[in-house]
Amino acid sequence: MGKSKTSIDFALGSTIMTLQDNTPPQPQNLNGERIEPAQAALTHAAPLPQVLAEDAANPTSEHQPFAERLEHALEDENLQRALGRFAPSWRTSRLNVFSVEENDYGPAYSFTSLRTLLRDAKDYAIEHQPELLAQFKAQAQAAGAIVYEARTAEEANQYIYELCRRKGIDLVVKSKTMVSEEVELNHYLEERGIKAVETDLGEWVAQLNHERPSHMVMPIIHKTRQQVGTILSAATGREISREDVAEQVAVIRTEHRKSFLTAGMGISGANALIAESGTVMMMTNEGNGRLVTSLPSVHVVMAGYDKLIGTYADAMTQLRLLARSATAQPITTYTTFITGPATLEKEMHIVLLDNGRNEMRADPRFKDALRCIRCAACANICPPYQQVGGHAFGHIYSGAIGLVVTPFHHGIDAGAGPQSLCVSCNACETVCPVEIPLPSLILDVRSRTMEAKGLPWIKKLIFGTMARPRLFGLLTRLASIGQLPITRGSQYVRARNIGIFSKLPIISYIASLARWRSLPTFAIKPLRDRIRTRDISYSLKPARGLNLTVCYFAGCMTDRLYPEMGEAVIKVLEAIGVRVVYPQKQNCCGLPALNSGDRRDGVAMAKQTIVMLEQSLKEHNADYILSASTSCVVTIVQDYIRLFEDLGLQGWLRRTQALQEKVIDFTSFMDRVVLPAGVELPVRQHASNESVTYHDSCQSCNCLGLRKEARRVIQDVLGLELREMPSSDVCCGFGGSTSIEHPEVAERLLNNKLSNAESTGANILVADNPGCLMHLRGGVDATGRRIRVVHLAQLIAERLPER
Amino acid sequence: MLERIVTQDLFTRFQLRLTALGGECQQVESLQAAADLIAAHSALAEKALVIPPDFSERQPWGTIVSMLRDKGIAIREAGTPASVADAPAGLSSAELAVAETGSVLLAENALEARVVSMLTLTHFVLVRASAMVPMLDQVGERLQQLSKPGPDQRRYMSLVTGPSRTADIERTLTIGVQGPKALCVLVINN
Repeated sequence: MGKSKTSIDFALGSTIMTLQDNTPPQPQNLNGERIEPAQAALTHAAPLPQVLAEDAANPTSEHQPFAERLEHALEDENLQRALGRFAPSWRTSRLNVFSVEENDYGPAYSFTSLRTLLRDAKDYAIEHQPELLAQFKAQAQAAGAIVYEARTAEEANQYIYELCRRKGIDLVVKSKTMVSEEVELNHYLEERGIKAVETDLGEWVAQLNHERPSHMVMPIIHKTRQQVGTILSAATGREISREDVAEQVAVIRTEHRKSFLTAGMGISGANALIAESGTVMMMTNEGNGRLVTSLPSVHVVMAGYDKLIGTYADAMTQLRLLARSATAQPITTYTTFITGPATLEKEMHIVLLDNGRNEMRADPRFKDALRCIRCAACANICPPYQQVGGHAFGHIYSGAIGLVVTPFHHGIDAGAGPQSLCVSCNACETVCPVEIPLPSLILDVRSRTMEAKGLPWIKKLIFGTMARPRLFGLLTRLASIGQLPITRGSQYVRARNIGIFSKLPIISYIASLARWRSLPTFAIKPLRDRIRTRDISYSLKPARGLNLTVCYFAGCMTDRLYPEMGEAVIKVLEAIGVRVVYPQKQNCCGLPALNSGDRRDGVAMAKQTIVMLEQSLKEHNADYILSASTSCVVTIVQDYIRLFEDLGLQGWLRRTQALQEKVIDFTSFMDRVVLPAGVELPVRQHASNESVTYHDSCQSCNCLGLRKEARRVIQDVLGLELREMPSSDVCCGFGGSTSIEHPEVAERLLNNKLSNAESTGANILVADNPGCLMHLRGGVDATGRRIRVVHLAQLIAERLPER
Repeated sequence: MLERIVTQDLFTRFQLRLTALGGECQQVESLQAAADLIAAHSALAEKALVIPPDFSERQPWGTIVSMLRDKGIAIREAGTPASVADAPAGLSSAELAVAETGSVLLAENALEARVVSMLTLTHFVLVRASAMVPMLDQVGERLQQLSKPGPDQRRYMSLVTGPSRTADIERTLTIGVQGPKALCVLVINN
């Protein structure tokens, strides 16, 4: 019996209950009459209405093929609504709960400080696992616990089953443990005649509906109260409200009472295994965890080796981060520390599981993933996860971490489908409380998956072509002519213009791509041509400018699709007295290939790029290598480093490191080089009814940490009105190959972004990454929206006087 | 950092954090004042209270038992879980309170003592004001001491912060699930 509030978040101060009214509300029937459970059984003599399939909603099993799970998720409107509401609210609540801590207790308690502390503690534990394990076992055993090390899922299941059999246990109560789901314990026990009841509310409802939890921390986030009411009604044989959540919650207290009192075994998980004292730490909210671990005479803890942590001090740091990262609560209601069986009447077993963890530990990259504390922040922030939920975005373990660990726990096939949903936006890395490099680990999984399963032939063809600069150049020039029948001279490939050509096989595919966002066209005169033939007097010969030489790396998209963006960049640079050189040998940086898991072609393009940049730097004595594509910049300064480290190519690594310091993106260049030098851009004011809204591209904000820089240019330098859109830093949906492989997901992300942009009423949408701009423009064109989409450089260039 | 919280009244901080999470707390000058508060609380409408076995012998809390009886409260010692389940009110004591999070530390080994905090509907907790620490760091140290092997090893400890809760259904917060639906902490100054 409890009171419910229809508030959406847990954040401090916003969900206060009053203690004045202590009357526990009784379960009520739909007429508002109070009923006692026993009475209900008598009054409902007639059979209750059948659970309607639509109400309960077809449960998803991870044993269904990925494509089916994905399709099912995309059609699930309840899921879309629930996750759509949750994501922005969680983001805000999480920022609030961390900023409250920082304001109250100082910068040492900021998210940034705490996550570094916990990362170090977990890294120590991973590094010293054998010692900590020995210490934990010794202490736990000294306290009377029995410790069993299971190498495989089968061993863990068998151990627990044998224990039940020996003791004649046929009913087990469980509190939340992901490890038991990982090994599919419930199924194993039930096959052998042992009933395992989930006592966590969300887990129980999922179990009743024969489905997996869709989220590691909020198991039934994808279910509506109507669905829950229906499931509970069917399970209890009583009519449970479809609207009153308090009544629904009250059901679990009465339904599980008998199980708690009669079960022979309680199975729990562990949030941490504290080595110094052999103590199991468990964080819960509902109170079922303490009942599961206290009432039955046998208590079994299931935990992976990765839960080991050295000391109580480390555990306190984890306490400060876990609940805040998971649900934006400051702390869970109960944090329990169990050291051996509490009394002589109890028996305690601790089952430690490997199941691929030691393989991860042996891998220099993947061992970082063992830091995970299972908070699910990486799921909560993930834009594609928000569209499809945990059943599709994972396999038992979901969210970004799920994509990383699934190959190790469940095999590369299990993870192959889910990993394709990652758009590499890097949002997960910004919220991980233990600083796991999730985006690059997911790309590692992707390239391993491609190695195992083979890259699709079309990608091999495309990337193989891109890695051959002359061939690539020739084909794009041919395409710029060949596309004319379907572009009809416009800057877009529009679905409606394709006409009868859409009957042809490949063209029909292009038409389907263009339906929701018009595609760009190959410029008949790419940037490299325009440079060669340009009039040098682009320069406005300012009175006082920067005396710098910049080597301009345009990137393949700007060069061949949006040369006008490149021209704008050059115009702006020359207006401030910068000498711009354009190495004609430049090609693609390799990002598309690397992003698709094609290391071979990616490495080839990386090496070409490095050689070309070195030559150009030397030849022109350039001060900077500038790119107006933050994707390319991140690829060169971050991805190349990791790539060459992984491949053991020390020479190339050193050459990249030497180049790194000179590489800068356009926005940073404006902010860190141009503005501080006091250079004045000769901008003229435009019509005052123009306003701008800004999209933070993923590479710009999540990888390079840029946020205020572009805004400063827009507001302070150009004097334009800036209107912030909601969720300006959420991915636009381009995600490289993901928008091709999963157009439905990409389309929804794009529409969210454009709706948010439009909601500001601004007439110009600005970003500083050509990939995003291509995607955004295409969407605006295809949906007939009225907002102009430009690169930051174009916004500036438009306001410079003509030469 | 630590300085900020030490200079500020610990109880004020504790109260701020606990009440934000739906708990209730009061600072009182004596056990008698605590008894008065408990007896007058709406959870005691049925004038019945469950306590851990041997609570009346526990220092320094024991005398509150007779004080409550004097107010007409029927007090029984907890037995089996079944006998305590859904009792309207339970009373126990905490090892410490921590201002940083608004939590109290319960450290009872015996099951009968623990069920008071797990199964009653409103749980009252007594804690000394002198046992209030500023930060979780001190809690970690205390946990380490209490879990050391020895005759007084505390094998089952819980840091409790407010009443039980869930937001599993449509993220709608509901207070009171399996654990108590109300937590009331009484901080005794003497």
